[in-house]
Amino acid sequence: MLEFLLSWFSELRGLVNQGSKRVFFGYILSAAVIAIFWLMWQRSLNFLGALRWICQRKTWWSSSSRSDYQMMFINQPIMLLLSPLMLSKLALATALFYTLTDWVSRPLWPANISTFWVSVIFTSCLFVVDDASRYYLHRLMHRWPVLWAFHRVHHTAESLTPFTVLRTHPIEGLLFGLRSALVQGLLIGVFVFIFADRVTLISLLGANAVTAVLNMLGSNLRHSPVPISYGKTLERWLISPAQHQIHHSQARQHWDKNFGAFISLWDRLGDTLEYGSNTQQLTYGLAGQKPKEHQLSTLYWKPFKCCWSHLRRNKVRLISSINAIHITSEHE
Amino acid sequence: MNKTLLSIAVAASFVLSGQAQAGAHAEIYADFPITVKNYAGSKTHSEAYTGQIARHTLHNSVKKLISKGASLEQTQAYFSGKEPGRIIIDPASKDGFPMLQTHVDKISKGKNLSGKAYKGLISGMPGNLTGAELLNLMLEKAAATEKGFDPLTGYDYTQLFSKFAMGAVFYNQAVDNYLDEKLAADVNPNSKAYKEGKAYTGKEHVWDEGFGYFGAPAHTLGLTAAEVYGIAKQKSDSFAKADHNGDGKVSMVTEMAYAHAYYAASFDKGGKTKYLHTIVQAFVDGRKLITSANGEALTDSQRSELMGYAQVIKTQWQRVIAESVFKYAGSVYGDIEKLETIIAANGDAAKAYRNYAKHWGELKGFALALEAGGVNLGEAGVKLNRLLGYSPILLGNTQVTGFVDGEFVQSPSISMGEYQVHMIKVQKLMVDNFGVEARSKDMTANLAKLVDSLGTSLAAEND
Repeated sequence: MLEFLLSWFSELRGLVNQGSKRVFFGYILSAAVIAIFWLMWQRSLNFLGALRWICQRKTWWSSSSRSDYQMMFINQPIMLLLSPLMLSKLALATALFYTLTDWVSRPLWPANISTFWVSVIFTSCLFVVDDASRYYLHRLMHRWPVLWAFHRVHHTAESLTPFTVLRTHPIEGLLFGLRSALVQGLLIGVFVFIFADRVTLISLLGANAVTAVLNMLGSNLRHSPVPISYGKTLERWLISPAQHQIHHSQARQHWDKNFGAFISLWDRLGDTLEYGSNTQQLTYGLAGQKPKEHQLSTLYWKPFKCCWSHLRRNKVRLISSINAIHITSEHE
Repeated sequence: MNKTLLSIAVAASFVLSGQAQAGAHAEIYADFPITVKNYAGSKTHSEAYTGQIARHTLHNSVKKLISKGASLEQTQAYFSGKEPGRIIIDPASKDGFPMLQTHVDKISKGKNLSGKAYKGLISGMPGNLTGAELLNLMLEKAAATEKGFDPLTGYDYTQLFSKFAMGAVFYNQAVDNYLDEKLAADVNPNSKAYKEGKAYTGKEHVWDEGFGYFGAPAHTLGLTAAEVYGIAKQKSDSFAKADHNGDGKVSMVTEMAYAHAYYAASFDKGGKTKYLHTIVQAFVDGRKLITSANGEALTDSQRSELMGYAQVIKTQWQRVIAESVFKYAGSVYGDIEKLETIIAANGDAAKAYRNYAKHWGELKGFALALEAGGVNLGEAGVKLNRLLGYSPILLGNTQVTGFVDGEFVQSPSISMGEYQVHMIKVQKLMVDNFGVEARSKDMTANLAKLVDSLGTSLAAEND
C-alpha cells in the first residue's frame, strides 16, 4: 500500500517536474510569459494588468477547473492500475525488428547518412507520425459514438486552463497510451533495423526536442482563455492556441474542427481546419450541458452509461435488421 | 528434479558464498586432504591439476607466437611438441605482476595440446576435419601469413586458433570427458588411487582436471569477477588480489586466470550474470563431496549429486561460450557498419577491415568451440554454421565456400548488409537456444535505449 502511495505521489510530482509532461512547470511558466506579453501587445494592458488577467479566479477556480484538478489527482492511481494493459513499446519494437530481419534485406544506403542526420530524421519522423496519429485518433473520438462517450468528458470543460489537458477519462487515457506505444514501438523497430545503434532521439528536457520546443513556445495556451492566433499563413501548418480553443467552442459551426495537436496540415487534408482570430470570443463546453457535468461521479461514470446506451440501441437495430433479412428471405 | 534442486542449492550456496566474498574465509579450491587408503608419499594435499594449467600456458603461448609471425616449427613446438625447455611466452612476468614459473616443464612435463584436442568432426569449417586436424591446419596456414592474418580469406588465425583451441581442448576435455564419461561408477573409481602411488583418488583427480581446464584461480570465491578479470589481464593493481599466498609472485597453477574463466569474469563484471562464481562453487562443492567419501567408492546417491554439480558446470560453461558468440556477432555487425561508412566516403578501410577480420575470427572460433562440447546442438548448430558461413563476407561480396587440395576456395555470396542481418539472427539464436543473459554488444540494446529515452507516460493526457 505504501509503495502504491509513493508511486502515486511520484507520478503526480512527475507531471510538473518532467519535461515530457505537458504541464511541466517550465512550459507553464513560458506560456504565462508569452500570454503576458501578448496581452500587453494586443490588449494594451500594462504588466500588472496582464498578470491579473491571466490569474483570474473565474478561470482558475471555476467548478470546471476544480474538477480538472480533481481528475488530475484521481486519474493517477487509476492509470497505475491500468498500466498492465498498456502495450509494451519495447516488445512491439523488438518483434518488428526481428520480423524485418526475417523478411527484409537490410538496405545499404543508410551507411551514407551521418549519425547526426539519422537522429534528425528519427526525431522528426517520430514527431510527425506521432502527431498524425493523434489527429486520427482524436477525429475518431469525435466521430464514433462509443469513443465520444469518453472524450466528451474533456469537452465538458467550460473554462480552459493548462490543466484541462488532464481532464481526460482513464479509458481515453488508455487509448492515447496505446496509440503512443504503437507509433513509438513501430518507428523504433524500423529505425533500429535500418540504422542500428546510430539512432538516437534528439531530446530536450527529457522529451522529443521538437515537442519540447513547441511546448516552450506556449502550446499550453491552447487550453487557456488567451486567443493567440498565428495568422492564416502559419495556421495552415501549425495549430495555434486560438484554433484549439475553437475546437472547444460550443458554437455549432465549430463542432468537429481542428483535431490537430501541433500540426494543422492533417486538418487541412481532412477538411476540418478552422482559422483562429486574436479577437475571437468563445463559450466553451457542450451546448446545453448541466452543472452536474463537473461532478466526479458524472465525469467517471456517465461515459460508461452513454456507451452502454449506444451499444444497446445499436444491438436493437442490429437484431431488427437481421430479423428483417430473415423475414424477407422467407417470403422469397 | 534432483538436478533442479541441486541447481537451486548451488545458486543458494553461491549467494551465501557471495556474501562472504569480501571476507577472508571464502572457500578455495585447495588443501583438500588425502583420502587414498594407505598413502605412503610425502604430499599433504590431494588436489592436482598442473597438466591442465600447463596446457593453458601452451595455448597462451601459441596464440602469442602466431600474432608475432612465428614459424610453423615454433608454434608446433607448443601445440604438438613435448620437448623439455619450452619457455612460457604468455603469461610472462610484467612490471608489477611477476609470475612464479617461467618454463612449461616447471608446471608439468611432457604436455601438449594436440594430444587432447577434440577428435570429432567440426562441421563449421570446410574439409571434413576433426577438431585436432583443424587446429593443425590453422597453424600451417598461419605460418604462411604475416602475423597470422590472411587478408584474402579474412582469416585471423591468432583469434581463430585461440578461441577454437579453448573449445576443442579445454571445454571438450572438461565437459565431454572428465565431467561426463569419467564420472561413471566403474571409471577412475574413488576407492583407488588415480595411479599407483598418487596422493589422489580416481574421482578426485578427474574432478580436479575439469577444474583445471576451466582456468580459474583457486581462490576465485574470495574475489570479484572484476578482480579475476584484472588478474587474467595481469594488471598491476590486481597483483595483490592474485598473490593469494603472499609470496610476492603469482603462481601460474593456483593464482592465475585463463581461458573461459577469464571470459566468464568478463561477462560477470557487467553485473547481469554470475557464471564464474556459479561454476567455481559447483567445482568446490563437487570436490568436497568426493573428499567426504574418504577414499571409498561413491555411492549412487553421491555420484548422482556429483553429476548434478557437473551439469551445472556444463550448462554455465556452454553459456559462457554462447555469450562470447553473442558478443562478437555484435562486434562484427558494428565493424561492417564502420566499413560501409568508410567505403561510402572512399576512405582507407584497411584498419576497419582488420578489426572486422579479428572479431570474425573470435566469433567463429567460439562458434566452433560450441561444437566441441560433446552435445548435439541440433538445429541451432546447423543454423549457426549457415549464418556465419566459412569466412567473413569479403569486400567483393565473396566468401570461403570450400576447401580443395589444401586451399580455401571462395565464391560469390551475400552482401555485407545481408551479413549484418545474419549477425542479428546469430544473437537471437544465442538467446533462444542458450539463454545468454549478459548480452554484450546487444544489437537490440538500442531498442530499449530509445524506449527509455522516450519515457513512459502514465498520465491521461488529452490533445
